[in-house]
Amino acid sequence: MKDTPLANCERDFLLKAIEEKKRLDGRQTYDYRKMKITFGTDYGCCFVELGKTRVMAQVSCELVAPKESRPNEGIMFFNIELSPMASPTFEQGRQSELSVKLNRQLERCLRNSKCIDTESLCVVSGEKVWQIRVDVHMLNHDGNLMDAASIAAITALCHFRRPDVGIQGDEVTVYSPEERDPIPLSIYHMPISVSFSFFQQGTYLLVDPCEREERVMDGLLMIAMNKHREICSIQSSGGIMLLKEQVMRCSKIASVKVSEITELISKALENDKKARKAGGRCGFAESMPQERITALKMDETPVEMTEVTDRANDIVQKAEAPSQTVPSPVVPVPGVGQVGQGLQNTWGLEEEDEEEENDNSGEDEEVKETKMEVEQHDKEGSKQEDVVEISDSEEEEVVILHPETPDKAPKHTGPSFHQKGAAASKKKQKK
Amino acid sequence: SRDELVCGSSNVSLREFGCEQSLLSRPDGSASFVQGDTSVLAGVYGPAEVKVSKEIYDRATLEVLIQPKVGLPSVRERSQEQCVRETCEASLLLTLHPRSSLTLVLQVLHDDGSLLSCFLNAACMALMDAGLPMSCLFCGVTCAIDADGQIITDPTAAQEKESRALMTFAIDSKECRVMMSSTKGSFSVHELQQCIAVSQKASEKIFQFYRDSVKRRYSKTL
Amino acid sequence: MAAGFKTAEPLEYHRSFLKENCRPDGRELSEFRTTTLNIGSISTADGSALVKVGNTTVICGIKAELTNPTVEAPGKGYIVPNVDLPPLCSSRFRPGPPSEQAQAASQFVADVIESSEVIQTEDLCIERGKLCWVLYCDLMCLDYDGNLLDACTIALLAALKNTKLPEVTISTETPEVNLAKTRGLHIHKHPVSASFCVFDDSILIVDPTAEEESLKTAQLTVVTDEEDRLCTVHKPGGTSLSGEKLQECISRATARQREIQKLIDKVTRSVKTAQ
Repeated sequence: MKDTPLANCERDFLLKAIEEKKRLDGRQTYDYRKMKITFGTDYGCCFVELGKTRVMAQVSCELVAPKESRPNEGIMFFNIELSPMASPTFEQGRQSELSVKLNRQLERCLRNSKCIDTESLCVVSGEKVWQIRVDVHMLNHDGNLMDAASIAAITALCHFRRPDVGIQGDEVTVYSPEERDPIPLSIYHMPISVSFSFFQQGTYLLVDPCEREERVMDGLLMIAMNKHREICSIQSSGGIMLLKEQVMRCSKIASVKVSEITELISKALENDKKARKAGGRCGFAESMPQERITALKMDETPVEMTEVTDRANDIVQKAEAPSQTVPSPVVPVPGVGQVGQGLQNTWGLEEEDEEEENDNSGEDEEVKETKMEVEQHDKEGSKQEDVVEISDSEEEEVVILHPETPDKAPKHTGPSFHQKGAAASKKKQKK
Repeated sequence: SRDELVCGSSNVSLREFGCEQSLLSRPDGSASFVQGDTSVLAGVYGPAEVKVSKEIYDRATLEVLIQPKVGLPSVRERSQEQCVRETCEASLLLTLHPRSSLTLVLQVLHDDGSLLSCFLNAACMALMDAGLPMSCLFCGVTCAIDADGQIITDPTAAQEKESRALMTFAIDSKECRVMMSSTKGSFSVHELQQCIAVSQKASEKIFQFYRDSVKRRYSKTL
Repeated sequence: MAAGFKTAEPLEYHRSFLKENCRPDGRELSEFRTTTLNIGSISTADGSALVKVGNTTVICGIKAELTNPTVEAPGKGYIVPNVDLPPLCSSRFRPGPPSEQAQAASQFVADVIESSEVIQTEDLCIERGKLCWVLYCDLMCLDYDGNLLDACTIALLAALKNTKLPEVTISTETPEVNLAKTRGLHIHKHPVSASFCVFDDSILIVDPTAEEESLKTAQLTVVTDEEDRLCTVHKPGGTSLSGEKLQECISRATARQREIQKLIDKVTRSVKTAQ
């Protein structure tokens, strides 16, 4: 589906508001929208809400053979899915420019920064390593997908637990969570991406742009940084030129934002850990708001089973029993069978015979083939008892003004006449 | 309590379930449906402009996309998409919006059994939220038959794994008949008819829930 | 006149026949088209069969390969079915990646194999955790005139019955394949499917043609085995059916199962005696 274009007056209004240091949702220039981090029922599942933008990340793992160049290291794989749920412009299964850009940025942010100890993911050197896969699903696009995705991905990685493995000789056993406690990944630091959008050739700057603001911006600067104020990646797009001072200012703002967000993530992880320890239910079902009129919940409800058995019996007994007599199939030649008196196939049986009779002598084949011809003729309606008489009857058919005969007659009288003669003679010989 | 379910006399139950509508800002209709730990998020776009290649001259084109949690959609998801799409097509009045497109996206949030029925329930709630005209509502019910031949409604993933047969039905709200059926494992005619009857009973509860949630939305007090 | 009526008002055209309890091609409502079966059609495959249901033609070839069992099921082999709907079988299919219908059919065949336990995958294991057979079942439609699923299940079952695997002996690490000595597969169940279409929300017809399929309001496929157990009741949506109506379909499917099993058995025997 095509995107609805932004009206010129709306564009002008947005830019004018930015010039006056005002934002649509009442935020200040450097404010983030309200952020909420929740977890799913399994390990490694994280939901991030950034204003109305919603993102889900799921981490999974698998034992695979390592890359030849790095036999002692596990493999990290990132995949950002721009689900059509997030925006009607996203198409399923198509690599758009945006999805490539987001995937690249996430890889730079989380793989190239070496924030995860990949060597600890090695099980048997050169043979089996863990592949950690991070799937990020965009659920609702209201701007700044990158920041939401990076927060969701790193939080999910921190939350994830992989199964424990045991090695005896050549055998690798993967233990279920009941047998041995699963193990968290070892993470050195948490890089978080912070986006800045620029307007009017870099004159104005906003943090955490919403979808409307993204549509009128001139350029975007994404800085990935950890709480130790180390820059992991810096990327500018949109074709604006930035001054050194501007970049420095942005990195200062980023360091403040990153430390705030890191704290929020730690707190969310801590809360989830406590909830899991307490044995309470956690996950999506619990995060559903109760106080909204659009939400409703129903407790476990029994289903009445009275009458159910009676009803089922009733239906089965009332039904007609399947007929016991079954039509007998016809097997004209070995390997071919036919059942049913409905329609005749437009596709004759001769072709099939040829395959079956390959190894027979040529003479037999001829007999079989001609026999089939005769059979076919019988089916077509001319029910002659004796094959020799066919020649007479066909001549008669030409005389009778039957609607179908004009088509058929020339076909049959010519070549098939000889064949039939041959068939008849062959048959007689056999007799 | 959910484990002892004797066919005929017992207390077959549905896990606690819930739904939130209009939770996403972009789609025209959205809903998240939760059955026990199983949860699905649904979003609907439309009626909107349709691609020329997909245009149907006398009705709207409905597309259903199922997004698994990990990896890309496989053949299994395609088959589930077909089931959900044809069920929705039967209940939606598509002829009211000729030459337009409807898109229903279903995202798995957590799979703890009875996923197909959760897809159906989420889809119906999202279509209702989008305000699309429908001839009837529908709901999904999953039944499992365990090794002892007992029926379990709305099974968890563990119960599904242990079961001998698994059936999911979509039931319509007008006459409580079977709109969709998808089964796994082998079972007798009797077992099938019993499961259908149980699903019809269970559907009453779900339709009551639909009614309650609509009432709640349009009432002035919580 | 009739041809023009059919083109302009296909639904009315069919209705006028259904009112008289018959169908445009002369069949009764619960009558299948003539089913023709040929087994061993492909000499290079390990097992093959060709099925015609009316004009619908499906060919099935089975190729067995040696492979390592999966880590999750070290004692089992596996079966990989694939349904192909190439553009040659109907103008409705385009070249390129498999259509949704082809994918749904592949999944249906896989479900039937799994649910019916036609073959126990343990039989395909040669040495636990080391070596097993994988059966690639390729089903290709040559002519599409409706009721693809029935044709596919018959072709698959007949081809499996026709499959011969060479004997494999394992001596000192390397497996040896003895092509001279072959054995057939053990077929545990005989699942046969019967497809139905619902017309105008109420009329049930069996074995629909492509034209009838395009006018249907719902479709239903029932798979039963020789013990009258149901393996699959597949109704991917459409207008609703009551339990009673479903029961009618099941009865018809049971009769069809007997008919087809007899056909397959007789054809298989005819090949054996010919050899």
